[in-house]
Amino acid sequence: MKEAHHGEGDEKTYKFGMVIDLDKCTGCGACMVACMAENNISFRKDETDKLRSNFWMRVYKISNGLPFPDTEVSYIPRPCMHCEGYDHHHATPCVSVCPATVTDYNHETGIVSQIYTRCFGCRYCMAACPYHVRVFNWWDPRWPKGMEKYLNPDVSVRMRGVVEKCSFCFHRYQRAKNKAYAEGRRELREDEYQTACTQACPAGAITFGDLNDPHHKVYKLKKDPNAFRLLEKLGTNPKVYYVSTTDWVRKASDAYTGKQGEGVTPG
Amino acid sequence: MKLDRRTFIELSVGFSVGAGTGILLSPVNWKLMDDMTIWSQELWPRYQLGGLKGQLPQRGEVTHVDSVCTLCPGGCGITVRKVGDRATKIEGRAGYPVNDGGICILGAAGLQLLYGPWRVPGPLRRAGQRGAGQWEQVSWEEAIAEAVKKLAALRGEGNAHTVACMLGSDRGTVPQLFARFMKAFGSPNLMRTATAEDTYELTLGLMQGVTSSVGYDLERANFILSFGSGLIEGWGSPVRVIKAHSIWRSANVKERATVVQIEPRLSNTAAKADRWYPINPGTEGALALGLAHVIIKESLYDDNFIRNHTFGFENGTDATGKGYMGFKRLVLTKYTPEAVSRMTGLSSSKIINLARAFARAKYPLAVWGRGKGTMPGSVYECMAVHALNALVGNINRPGGVWARPKVATQGWPEVSQDATAWTGYGMPRLDGAGTKRYPLTGHRPERLFQMASEKPGAVEALLVHEADPYYTTLDSQAVARAFENIPFVVSFSSYMDETAHHADLILPNHHYLERWEDCPTPVGLQKPLLGLLRPVVAPQFDTKHAGDTLMTIARALGGTIANAFPWEDYEGLLKETLADQWDTLEETGYVEQAGYTPPAWEQAFGTPSGKFEFYVSAFDQVGMTMRKDVGYLPHYEPVKPEGDAALYPLVLIPTDLMRLADGPVGNPPFCTKTLEETELKGNDLFVEVNPETAADHGLSEGQYATLETPKDTAKVLVHLFEGIMPGVIGIPKGLGHTGYDDYLAGKGVNANSLLGVVEDPISGLCATWGIRAKLTRV
Amino acid sequence: MDSASAPFDSALIPKGVKRCQFKWFLLWIAILHGPLTIGVIATLMCWGLALNVTYLNNNYPFGLWIAADLGIIALGAGAFFTGFLRYIVKIDELKHIVNFAVIVGVVCYAAAQGILGVDIGQPLRGWFIFWHANVHSMLTEVAFCITCYFMVLCVEYLPLILENRQIYKFGFPRGFAHHLHEAMPTIAAIGVFLSFFHQGSLGGVPGVLYGRPFAFREGFLVWPWTFFLFILSAIACGPCFTILITRITEGFARKRLVKRNVIDILAKISGRLLALYLVLKTIDTVYWIATAGKVGAPLSSFYANQPYGYWVLITELGIFGVIPCILLLIKATRQNENILILACFLNCAGIFMNRWIMTVQALAVPVMPFDKFVSYHPNWVEYASTLLFVWAGAIVISLSYRYLPIFSQEKELNPI
Ligand SMILES: Nc1nc2c(c(=O)[nH]1)N[C@H]1C(S)=C(S)[C@@H](COP(=O)(O)OP(=O)(O)OC[C@H]3O[C@@H](n4cnc5c(=O)[nH]c(N)nc54)[C@H](O)[C@@H]3O)O[C@H]1N2
Ligand SMILES: Nc1nc2c(c(=O)[nH]1)N[C@H]1C(S)=C(S)[C@@H](COP(=O)(O)OP(=O)(O)OC[C@H]3O[C@@H](n4cnc5c(=O)[nH]c(N)nc54)[C@H](O)[C@@H]3O)O[C@H]1N2
Ligand code: SF4
Ligand code: SF4
Ligand code: SF4
Ligand code: SF4
Ligand code: SF4
Ligand SMILES: [Mo]
Repeated sequence: MKEAHHGEGDEKTYKFGMVIDLDKCTGCGACMVACMAENNISFRKDETDKLRSNFWMRVYKISNGLPFPDTEVSYIPRPCMHCEGYDHHHATPCVSVCPATVTDYNHETGIVSQIYTRCFGCRYCMAACPYHVRVFNWWDPRWPKGMEKYLNPDVSVRMRGVVEKCSFCFHRYQRAKNKAYAEGRRELREDEYQTACTQACPAGAITFGDLNDPHHKVYKLKKDPNAFRLLEKLGTNPKVYYVSTTDWVRKASDAYTGKQGEGVTPG
Repeated sequence: MKLDRRTFIELSVGFSVGAGTGILLSPVNWKLMDDMTIWSQELWPRYQLGGLKGQLPQRGEVTHVDSVCTLCPGGCGITVRKVGDRATKIEGRAGYPVNDGGICILGAAGLQLLYGPWRVPGPLRRAGQRGAGQWEQVSWEEAIAEAVKKLAALRGEGNAHTVACMLGSDRGTVPQLFARFMKAFGSPNLMRTATAEDTYELTLGLMQGVTSSVGYDLERANFILSFGSGLIEGWGSPVRVIKAHSIWRSANVKERATVVQIEPRLSNTAAKADRWYPINPGTEGALALGLAHVIIKESLYDDNFIRNHTFGFENGTDATGKGYMGFKRLVLTKYTPEAVSRMTGLSSSKIINLARAFARAKYPLAVWGRGKGTMPGSVYECMAVHALNALVGNINRPGGVWARPKVATQGWPEVSQDATAWTGYGMPRLDGAGTKRYPLTGHRPERLFQMASEKPGAVEALLVHEADPYYTTLDSQAVARAFENIPFVVSFSSYMDETAHHADLILPNHHYLERWEDCPTPVGLQKPLLGLLRPVVAPQFDTKHAGDTLMTIARALGGTIANAFPWEDYEGLLKETLADQWDTLEETGYVEQAGYTPPAWEQAFGTPSGKFEFYVSAFDQVGMTMRKDVGYLPHYEPVKPEGDAALYPLVLIPTDLMRLADGPVGNPPFCTKTLEETELKGNDLFVEVNPETAADHGLSEGQYATLETPKDTAKVLVHLFEGIMPGVIGIPKGLGHTGYDDYLAGKGVNANSLLGVVEDPISGLCATWGIRAKLTRV
Repeated sequence: MDSASAPFDSALIPKGVKRCQFKWFLLWIAILHGPLTIGVIATLMCWGLALNVTYLNNNYPFGLWIAADLGIIALGAGAFFTGFLRYIVKIDELKHIVNFAVIVGVVCYAAAQGILGVDIGQPLRGWFIFWHANVHSMLTEVAFCITCYFMVLCVEYLPLILENRQIYKFGFPRGFAHHLHEAMPTIAAIGVFLSFFHQGSLGGVPGVLYGRPFAFREGFLVWPWTFFLFILSAIACGPCFTILITRITEGFARKRLVKRNVIDILAKISGRLLALYLVLKTIDTVYWIATAGKVGAPLSSFYANQPYGYWVLITELGIFGVIPCILLLIKATRQNENILILACFLNCAGIFMNRWIMTVQALAVPVMPFDKFVSYHPNWVEYASTLLFVWAGAIVISLSYRYLPIFSQEKELNPI
């Protein structure tokens, strides 16, 4: 993405975030595929080893663990949380640990970035992230002949041996910002910058916007009494909120309950 | 100098120290480091993309093209982002009446289908054995000449009627062209794949006397009772239904709708429902009647509708003076909550409470069609569910079931047939559809293959368009045998699917993103809509629009066949056919009847009584005289799964996964990638088994087992799932492909091969919902 | 020693000591090249085919390599700590073992860097850690200190090389070696300072991970408690490793190389430091249980999944902690040759276990409530490429022992 060059200091700042309505989310996976298509995510013939699969958006299936017919399942779409960090000091878990300043908390947008060409693959950031957001490129990406045609030029293609993750579709922000500047505006409208997953979701379960802007939908949604964030107690201070009216789902947001089969389980 | 031990040692020490220091201090290291970084950052990734020449992905002018997705019958509007001449992203089209910006997982992966290695590169003629994958690339002239030669020869021998044609749909100009071709050529054997929509159309014909498709006013319903419909697995027009689901889940608790899912397995729809009632598989019809019992007994039905607009609710006497039993009597005597509880396994109190909640809701809606609705199912079961809708008076009402007129004919000139065509076209259909036995049915695709496998010579040639019967038809082994008996198979497929793989000639169609075509109203939509596909990119391969291919063949066949196709080309035909709508279509991409409302009850019913008929008198009209009164009424007639319970103690049901396309379009790699690790592992498929059942069979999580049905045997992995009824095994549909490419081929098992066809007595369509099975440890 | 039986390479061997025949030495080196070659193949596979050849995955971005790295660095602490005791605390007897400690240190630090070179996904960009350094990252601190300290170790090793009989003949190396010896206290002090920081930062690596309650520790200023615990555990174990390697070398040489009183000093110090470490580690553990509980991670959640049951805690602190500690503190057991070796072994095993726990187990414990526990064990590629450095180290030590005057007491203990 080409970035318009303009003076510093006069930036409008945002705190972009998401609110995901788990009552609406159907687990359909459209967000995962939209993300893969938007962000040039590679794929392999066998992707059944989920521990080595490259997902920026991952939809987890969770279960209340009760036997038939009291079983219930729910889905939790999980992009990068774009954590603000401990005590609001902006010590994002993955950012503070990266030795080569590859990943950064952008104070203009609140987006945690990743420069693939600088990452040397030590994977320390992966160890720091409790959400399994970061993925490593265990293989060279390869596209079957002809398929490279659909690649998006706004997002660089990543090489093996580097770590990558959801960028809140940062290139879309840049695109929107360039357009706004060209039209003489310094501020983005809510609908001008939306992430690919938000846009695709057939259920409209994902809402994206500026968490600080009272005019944005996310501002109100995050205050829902049923809103919560994942692992809130750790102090990672995520910018992705979830809403669920189901008790056991809300309870599943914090506190690892130990052995599988006790309470919440992977579905 | 003499090289003695000492000098040798001194020299080597000196050299090592010198070289070490030299290398350490020289700038070569730094230069090399820098170069290698550039290699790893710039050149290596570029090499990954297929060469070091260009900068990839290339930049270019960004444009957007609106079109329609036809990867499923959903007909969503799409907007394709292009960079230069490359399509780089498919997004849902904002404002489109079906999906308003949303897109499904399959639609979002459409570009992988466009640019993937599974595309048929150009016209191909089989070179080796059938199915061996050996092809000879031929020119279009040659390929078409070959088809013409074979077809003309059959016609010359008086065997025009042995040419069969299998389509994926009968709506729109292209299927109509095929129908026209068959008529002009002289064969009655035009088939298309059948779905739950066929059964509902038949039900509307019987109970309402209309030739209509079913439309559901989902968005306004506030109590949705689903009889196993995979509302969010891809039922109906998938994005539209998921959007409706979100309306039901409105943040305003007061506006929230109640969703009840009836299904033996905790599907995603069941998981999202407010209540999930697992019942014995195949007993949905009984439950519908049990609910009807409570509603009638407690007088919770819509009195006005029942009294003034229905026929056969109460006992009566017909025109001949013969007395008949009404729906009320049947239901009150035979479907008491206790009796239904025994059949379904659901407690009577739940049945009673559910019936009350349903009838008391402001906009109750019962929906029918198992899973994605790809299997036609039982007519009486559909009638029972439809009767439930009638009881609460939600026929053609807001939030109810609408009979939506089928799109009008194209207004093309009549086909004039020559003698051969006239004789051939007049021969009986191979599938028996429309005959005395099945007067109401249009197509019985499974039967075609049964006939072909039983009677060599019955089908001498098969043309297949937008369908993959080799993969999607139940009882795959029978289909394979049928193919062996069909000497000439022509596929029009864009992809190397299973049917194409077993064809003799492939005349590849343009991909849906490369062509013009009309897309009539999507399945289940309540309002008529016409969408337009337009070429988003230039054809990527040496393909030809199926409409043009067909017309070229027709012209080469000459005579009345050629005369039946007076158009220059398909594009011209399309413009002419859509004449008055064309300008709007070209500009906006769709024509919508936004203000459409279905006819009021007074005008709605074309039955002999002019009313909604619980007691279907149309059966007599079409010559399907029933032996007992109950035959005219919605009732529960179990569809017995094939197999002996003693040999096969379990029941296998196919399950639908939203991330797995199970129709004629193979799952693209992105979608397959999203399958859970409890669904596919390597190339092995998991079946779902209740932990209790698994324990009985000595099976544990992740173990290999042999799954055996009367039709086939497969090696599977076991996934313990609390959400499936004990005694039932769930197998996902959509895997076990042999065509396409190894991004899909060889993964898992084709569920269709394990299932057989159980015919519905009324429609002759496939009423299968499962099969008996055995699971043993390996 | 008659010249006929003198080894082929006797001109390079220090005067007054006996070494085996050159052919036997060559054979030994050749044998070591067997597993070494397998290690080289494994390494080339990692570089050529990418890291999918390992059993690492997105849940286990750290595996054997990182655990081994941290363990090896801790074992190598014998070098700086013996230097510290010899040159700064001025325990003079240790001059008889400090040379060897330095060599073991060089091997350990080279191995650690080598392993990291295999572990990172883009080795060609490894130097970005210096170029784009992030001062907030513990790993940056580690990288800088380890690299600098490795240079220090090389400088400490250099005079030993220069003291080779043939090199020492020349005036320049002789003078240079002499000057280096003079500067050794200063160099040792720099080494101590650097080591303090990198040993601590290695502790900081897991300690700062507040997203991983298992590893996270509160602390002092910018350093988590693990920073200090790692330093302490390293110096409590490093000397034991030096003793262990000395004994192994003695075993191969089939003679004594260092006097027992020298060894005993190291063993005694090790025991006392281990005792101190165990006290502090216990306090840390109790405090950690309390703080982790507060963020919703009760102790039971850490030990709920096999193989990481409570036995891990007991083994690490009890069997590999308290037992060697007691054995080293009691004079009688410490001075029993076999028991001393056992104690040293247990102590070193404890360090490895601790480093594994702080890296691999820290990642194994699921954090998200709906996470699935998955187990990890390294595959042959990881083992082979890690052990590669053991074989390479054995070659370096063998060469050093044969050609360099390392053990100042060897002649005295083994008169010819
Ligand atoms: N096809 C094509 N290729 C090109 C070019 C072209 O015109 N066409 N142009 C070439 C030129 S001139 C250039 S400069 C390069 C640019 O090439 P790259 O540097 O690869 O460019 P981007 O993809 O814009 O940016 C890389 C990443 O940086 C992230 N990023 C953005 N802001 C920040 C931040 O503040 N902090 C961090 N840590 N990350 C951030 C973005 O999310 C993005 O993923 O491309 C070159 N390659
Ligand atoms: N919106 C947006 N703006 C950006 C950026 C962004 O990502 N987004 N990125 C910024 C960055 S990193 C860069 S480097 C700049 C690049 O900005 P520009 O330099 O404007 O880059 P291009 O559009 O790649 O090329 C400019 C023109 O040079 C022409 N050209 C090519 N070869 C030759 C030649 O041999 N001679 C001559 N005379 N002309 C030639 C091309 O046809 C093209 O019209 O853009 C910056 N501005
Ligand atoms: S696209 Fe929407 S509904 Fe589907 S899984 Fe993602 S968030 Fe859920
Ligand atoms: S979710 Fe993980 S990767 Fe994303 S900002 Fe937080 S710690 Fe970093
Ligand atoms: S893997 Fe890359 S981004 Fe992550 S910490 Fe290491 S250098 Fe930084
Ligand atoms: S915000 Fe963008 S990068 Fe992140 S998950 Fe959604 S689509 Fe992917
Ligand atoms: S629902 Fe059907 S029509 Fe709509 S985008 Fe998905 S595949 Fe295409
Ligand atoms: Mo640039």
